[in-house]
Amino acid sequence: MGNPDLQALSARQSGLKACTSCGSLQSITDHRLCRDCGAVVRSRRSKSLQRVWAFLIVGVMAYFPANIYPIMLTRSFTGNTSDTILSGVVVLIQSGSYVVALIIFAASICIPVVKFLVIAGLALSLQYDWDISNHTRHRLHTVTEFIGRWSMIDVFVVAVLAALIQLGAIMTIVPGVGINAFAVSVIFTMLAASSLDPRLLWDHSNND
Amino acid sequence: MTIAVGNPENEADLDRLIACPGCDLLHYRRALEVGEHARCGRCADVIQTRKPHTVDRTLAAVLASIILLLVSLCLPFLSLSRAGIASNISVLDAVSALWFSHMRWLALLTLAFIVLLPLTRLLLLGWVLWRIRFKRRIRRTMRTAFRWSIRMEPWAMAEIFMVGVVVSLVKISTLANLHMGLAFWSLLLLIAISCYINLVLCKDTIWAILICKP
Repeated sequence: MGNPDLQALSARQSGLKACTSCGSLQSITDHRLCRDCGAVVRSRRSKSLQRVWAFLIVGVMAYFPANIYPIMLTRSFTGNTSDTILSGVVVLIQSGSYVVALIIFAASICIPVVKFLVIAGLALSLQYDWDISNHTRHRLHTVTEFIGRWSMIDVFVVAVLAALIQLGAIMTIVPGVGINAFAVSVIFTMLAASSLDPRLLWDHSNND
Repeated sequence: MTIAVGNPENEADLDRLIACPGCDLLHYRRALEVGEHARCGRCADVIQTRKPHTVDRTLAAVLASIILLLVSLCLPFLSLSRAGIASNISVLDAVSALWFSHMRWLALLTLAFIVLLPLTRLLLLGWVLWRIRFKRRIRRTMRTAFRWSIRMEPWAMAEIFMVGVVVSLVKISTLANLHMGLAFWSLLLLIAISCYINLVLCKDTIWAILICKP
């Protein structure tokens, strides 16, 4: 692939912009909607980096209360307990469900943290022209967009448990404040990932 | 893959070109054989596809998904019993339980991600494909509908909900007797079918039909 002898041009360099939904091209100076599908066509998503930072900062801010406050309160005749995200994983390990513990650990702790770092890294690399291979950046972007939604697992676990375990005096599970913060964090990180226009990653260099 | 050289300002040339959605590099469109796909020469993203029987296969899968989704919503997916008290819930019960235990925000979120977005997406996709399949007139609204069904894709989280259900099963399996309801299996089937939809839906073919281009 990537033949260095050919002078490859992007749509933008040729004075064109492509519709992201149906793919048809129009002149970059043409401000109308896409002539084929009616979507708004932009050469690059508008204010891409600003949006990435705004969404990402909200995501990171919400991640702290999500881990500090309990996500689930259990009331039973043996007493009340509350679980945070991390203590939920510990309980699963103690009860021997290693696979499920691993799933929750990956979805609620690894994926969000890795996503924060990767998105921030990509945004910084665009702003300061870091010398990272475009292929690496492109792959990182594809992966973060794909895995982000899986962080929602914990939210649904709490929703299911809270709805199912309503056994009156024997045992009742109530969602905690932490889960709200966690859902906000996941949603805003997804928005941050989808605001980052992958085409920006290739704009600066023409050599590969 | 041919890489576009030169400066194509000509309107007539535009339809012969395609820009890679991943990196914006221009390529000449190729006439693909059925089953082939073309990748970008720079970032290797797929830029053109031509999948066989896409309208028939996707429409069948979408109709099956709509039925399964409705089944999954109304019938109980889990039931548990302990010390003579039984409780069984469907997805709608789960949402209403959250709503009435003052977790309205979480209830709305679950409702949107599990019920509203997947259902709207399937209905839009089904409507567009139905009209194409039965040779109805192509309307402009069909393009809008198809566009929105694509945009909703990352936010429809039925399969993630399913993993959540399995995890909760493991968490409480020691506390009570659990039984999987019919909706559990239909949710499982729904996930398999939604993977199948992603495999057989050829956006290029559908766009070409909707835009009425060769």
